[in-house]
This record gives sequence, C-alpha cells and structure tokens, in this order.
Amino acid sequence: MTETTAAHQIAWVYDLNKCIGCQTCSVACKVLWTRDEGEKHEWWCSVNTQPGLGTPKNWEEMGGGADETGRPKPGHQPTREEFGGGFDFNHEEVFYGGSAGKVFLEPQAPRENRWAMNWDEDQGAGEWPNSYYFYLPRMCNHCSNPVCLQACATGALAKREDGLVLRDEDICMGDRFCMEACPYKKIYFNYERHVAQQCIGCFPRIEAGVAPACVRQCPGRAVFVGWMDDESSSVHRLVHEWKIALPLHGEAGTQPNVFYVPPLSPYRLKEDMSIDYEQPRIPPEYLESLFGPEVHSALATVKGEMDKVREGGSSEMMKTLIAYKWQELLGPFSRDPVELTPSAAS
Amino acid sequence: MKVSKVSDAASSLGSPTAAGWSSAAAETVKLGAIPVAAQPTAYIQEAWAKRPYASTSRAKVAAATDGERLYVRLEWADDAKANGEFPDGAAVVFPGAANSAVETLGSAAAPVGLWYWQNGRAEALEIESHGPGVFRKQASDGIKATAALESGRWSVVLSGPATAAKGGKVGVVVWNGTNEERAGLGAVSQGWLGLEQA
Repeated sequence: MTETTAAHQIAWVYDLNKCIGCQTCSVACKVLWTRDEGEKHEWWCSVNTQPGLGTPKNWEEMGGGADETGRPKPGHQPTREEFGGGFDFNHEEVFYGGSAGKVFLEPQAPRENRWAMNWDEDQGAGEWPNSYYFYLPRMCNHCSNPVCLQACATGALAKREDGLVLRDEDICMGDRFCMEACPYKKIYFNYERHVAQQCIGCFPRIEAGVAPACVRQCPGRAVFVGWMDDESSSVHRLVHEWKIALPLHGEAGTQPNVFYVPPLSPYRLKEDMSIDYEQPRIPPEYLESLFGPEVHSALATVKGEMDKVREGGSSEMMKTLIAYKWQELLGPFSRDPVELTPSAAS
Repeated sequence: MKVSKVSDAASSLGSPTAAGWSSAAAETVKLGAIPVAAQPTAYIQEAWAKRPYASTSRAKVAAATDGERLYVRLEWADDAKANGEFPDGAAVVFPGAANSAVETLGSAAAPVGLWYWQNGRAEALEIESHGPGVFRKQASDGIKATAALESGRWSVVLSGPATAAKGGKVGVVVWNGTNEERAGLGAVSQGWLGLEQA
C-alpha cells in the first residue's frame, strides 16, 4: 500500500444539531475556489438534506472505499448528469426580455432527470406528523487511507504532512480512477481542463494560520477544525475523548478525517398526537446506517450531558459544543484573514 | 514503414483528410492489451480484471516528413456507441531509451515518449510514459494534432519535430472512450514499427 501516514492530521467536526442548512459553507468555498473554467458544477463543500439522494445523485450506492486490508475497491465514476447543476439560466430573457412577471428564471437544460447540488432540499422522509430530516455538510474527507491516491495511475495525489490530500493538476491526466475509488464521491471532473478536482482544505489559509472558509464562515458555529493529534483540541476531544463525533460511512474503510456529531430529534407523535417518548422521530437504524452502531452511545452521551446542564450541572462537552467563543471553533487557525497581505497569503 | 518525403507538408499533410495522404504508404498495425497484472495500481488491476479493454484491434499508420517535422497519420474504426464521459484518444509512441518497450508503454528505467491526442482537448500533449498510464506531461515541443471522424472511422494526424524519429521506430496507442479506456487500458501496437526513408 502507498505510504500515506501524515505527521499531523487536520480534522473537521460538524455538529449536525447546529447545522441549519444555510449553505454558507458551500458558498464560502465556491466563491473562493471554484469559479474558474469548468468548475461551475463543482461544490467542494455542499450541504444536503438527509434522508435524500444527495450530491452526486445516489452517491451512497456508487461503491468504492477500501476492503478490510485497506486496498481500494472498485466503484462508479459519478457522471456529469449525476452531479448535475452548472446550469445556464435565462437571465437575459427574464430581466431584459420585456416579459416581467410572465417568464421566470429557469435552468436552460432539459427538464427530464434534472439534478444539482442540494436538489432534494428539505424533502426528507416520513409522514406527517412524523416527517423528519436534517442537514449533512460534506467535503473531501482527507482520509488517512486515501484510496483516491492509491487508485491513481500517475501519482498526481499526495497526502501532506498536515494530513491534507492534495492533487497536482499538472500531473493529473483526468483518468478518474480516483473518482471511482472515492466512496464519498466528493471528487469532481473538470471537463474543460481535463483534470479531477476536490477540496484542498484551504491549504493556503491553513499555512497562514487561517481557518478554512467552510469553518470560519459558518454562522451556526457548527463546525470545528484542528489537529487530531493535539489531545487538547476540540476535534480530538469530541472524537476520541467524548466519542460523540463519528465518521460518515466509516465502514467504507478509508479512515475519514471529517466527523459528525449526530442529530438528536424530537419524539414521534402517536395517532392521538400524544408524545411517544420511546421513539425518536429520526429512526435510530437510519442514523446507524450513516454513522455506524456507535451512533447510539454518542447520542446517549449528548443527551446525558444536556440533562446534566438542565439540572444545573456543568459540562465541558456542552460548553465545547455551544462554542460561546466562536474563535474556539478555529483551533490553531484563528488568524483573521483580513490580516493577510497578498504576499503573506501566497 | 516508409516515411514519405514531401516539400509542403503543412498544407498537404496537416489534415487527416488532406489529399497528400492518399499517396503515402500506410501499414495496418495490430494492437493489443497491456496485461491487467502490469497495470500500475492494485485498484486498476482489480477494477479491470474481468472487463475487456484495449478494444481497438488494428489501426492504419502512415508517416511523412518535410525534413523539419514528422507527420504520422493514424486511422481506426470508431466504436460508435455513445459515452458522454470518456473521450476517444490516440498517441504515437517513440522510444526514450535503447531498450524501451512499446508493449508496456515504457517503464521507469526505460520510458517512452508520446504525442497524445484526445478528442475534446484543445491541444495535443507531449508525454513521457514510465509504464502503462504512468504519464508525465512535458513542456510541449510544438506537437500538433488534427482529427476527423468520418463514416465511422477516426483519422488523426499528429506532428512534431522530425528529431523525434531519430530512434528509427514508432508505436501506436488507441483509447476507446466508449469502453472507458484511459491510461494503460488503451490498445497498444505489439512491437515497434521501423521507420525508413521512402
């Protein structure tokens, strides 16, 4: 297997109880990194409603990942249509065509099989009054066992000493074995430049001590970043000490470095509209399918700590999750980007 | 393979449909697969263990020069089934060392050079290949490609400095995009084709 051990490992933790699905992380990433040619359909950070088919459409059924020995498993390369989006719109007609109020903004693409990032927003699952959904931000997981890197024929991918998995686009031939092997399907293909592309972890910001855009711009204070190997970091404590932040589809075997505090949910309502205190509205087995069997103890721990605080106690874990001081979310990357000069940023 | 000498190659041979090619001697070259066990990553080996690849069985090759540039024309039957993801491609291969093997697209110790055309790419690439699909893009040395798809057949002319032919032999690769062929999964000529002045 390719040597991929990093001296440090940067990691993210998204608290799904605080994510409001506002897409500020997605847009912060978009405006910073994917506005060049061929990148219109690329959303290196995206938020989808769960349950849902996601981005790309039905990505959880596309295979890839690693077997029990860590070797990559075959998977499907998501197509242009499965990612969808990147539409052109009829702006000219709507704004200057003299048909105000009659013609509306419409993607200039066939109606059949339309799809795009966040296309199934807020659909969720279940029947009223027990319908349910939650938001799931996703990005490259900068895995500790990066099967993308192992699959690549040209050696275009590397895992850096800070744990980021980065691609050298001058080497990438656009063969897309990485896209097939990635179980999270978070690698895009740039059809104009003939290279694959994915989240770069905002490495120029990281190197300058500035948090990634998805973290710094989150208005919900829902995402933490830090060194996983720093035992005092929030990401380490949430994942390893309190064990309430879990990998998404950890069974895919790539050892992702993006973790999630799973969502709590209200209780189900019975037919007489009384509360069924035995049944959470989000089916536990659904959460288990995403976050593994540890999700039950993680949720129990969060609930227990919430109860402790309600009863007047103190909880270090709850203080961390609440993030009274938002800079605490940024770990060692707390420098204000306005302090950067262009030369310092480069 | 005879290399025709022409005086106005750019105009008479620059396009695959140019009249000049009708008088050039063409050879039909048999193409084959690089074994799956020789593919560069375990992922590719496993993913393609049971999938047929290198699906183009033969290509017609012709060459001409004006002394400055070498022009190589490739022609093969297109797989007409639609595939929106992977493009067709082709390359002319040159030895990078005395013992370079075209059948594996070179090796780390004995690489080969490729003039690489891919449908949809604006420019041809110059590549150093260290094995099946182990490609390194090089600074372009004025490699040009023109292509035409007519009557179910691709014809492509790749041209570059005539010095590329100093090894006296060339090879050919064809990638069938419909079959998702890329990297070391293309159909490769089974041995070098000697070049001799016509």
